[in-house]
Amino acid sequence: MDVETVEARAGPREFGPGDDMPEEYRKAATRMIQFHANSEIMGAYLERPFIREAPSIDRKLAFSAKVQDEIGHGQLLYRAAEELGVKTREQMLDELARGEGKFLNCFHYPMERWEETPMIAFFVDGAAMRRQATLKRTSWEPYAHAMDKICFEEGFHIKHGESILRELMTGPRAVQERTQAAFEEWWPRILQFFGPTDDQSTHHDFSAAVGLKTMTNDALRQAFLNAYVPKARQYGLELPDEPRVYRDAETDRWVVEQDDLDWDEFWTVAKNDYDGSHVQIGKRERTQEAVEWVRDAIESPGQGGVTPAAADD
Amino acid sequence: MRWEVFRQDKKKDYHTYVGTVHAPNAELAKQYAEVQHGRRKPTNSLWIVPKDAVETVYADDPGVEFGGTTQKDYRWATAYSTDETFAEEIEASQREQEEAERDIAEADR
Repeated sequence: MDVETVEARAGPREFGPGDDMPEEYRKAATRMIQFHANSEIMGAYLERPFIREAPSIDRKLAFSAKVQDEIGHGQLLYRAAEELGVKTREQMLDELARGEGKFLNCFHYPMERWEETPMIAFFVDGAAMRRQATLKRTSWEPYAHAMDKICFEEGFHIKHGESILRELMTGPRAVQERTQAAFEEWWPRILQFFGPTDDQSTHHDFSAAVGLKTMTNDALRQAFLNAYVPKARQYGLELPDEPRVYRDAETDRWVVEQDDLDWDEFWTVAKNDYDGSHVQIGKRERTQEAVEWVRDAIESPGQGGVTPAAADD
Repeated sequence: MRWEVFRQDKKKDYHTYVGTVHAPNAELAKQYAEVQHGRRKPTNSLWIVPKDAVETVYADDPGVEFGGTTQKDYRWATAYSTDETFAEEIEASQREQEEAERDIAEADR
């Protein structure tokens, strides 16, 4: 199939492993799905410590279920990417451990306090869910199938994150203040989730033309802000003065002042070169090495091999 | 030799199990499957798999715990109703989960 035919046929779940797809399509789809899979894994690594640090047994159970789900989502997505024939799952996992794999900007920052958890579990996951819902209509069928299962599970994650946020914001004043501080720290990164507004996205045109992406970053950002700014306010969070975010009465659209956001930092993050990038990728790399004995034992049972080690970081 | 047949109604649908055919080789299995399982109902494609290649796990096998048999309320969106309305995609996810919960309740009866 040539690119013109792909563009003419592009539609929801239109292409699958049985189709002879051009290299441009296979590469673009691999880039997109690999990024998504990496992000699932790296998000899980940020949240994993909170299984131990959860303040109650209910939160502990929910967090461990969520982390388990996210790792599973990563696996589903690597499978969907692998079907494109560009990279194997092992290659993609190696790239991630070596710091060559790209992933979501928000997962390059450390998360250290419980009050920070809803910033990911509610806002970042909420933004991701908005995007994922549109990807049920992506043209690569295995990707859409993965979205069916991921979206099924993700509703719990975000409602659980919202439940944590409400609990914190109805708690003691000091807890509310720490939650507000966490929100102010994370809010600019969350706004950058969908990239810069003046569409500098180099991959969008092709991805949209062949049906891989079904909505622009700008449309996704509008939908996210429509749903989540009222939620933040409802639970008593105040939007910081900067970055300026407001609804333009004339166009009835959200405006995010681009100059108030640190785009140098964003592009450093995108190159995996931020301080936090090294920390997070390092954790992933050490874990990948530590559990080599597990992969070994699965691939060649009873052969001895690498000495068992704990993956705890 | 037995072959298991999975039919896909329309392009983009999931394949679902529809039955078995007997045939000595893949070529004939495909022809029989076409005749027996692809004629009456709308069919876009069939998967034909040697019976021996299909592994089975039964719910009452030792050590098997399928979904819905253990109490895991904390895993469901329905357990966290902190508000009255949610983003449309969250509502959609919850509707799918409610449907699954109904299926589980149905199976328990």
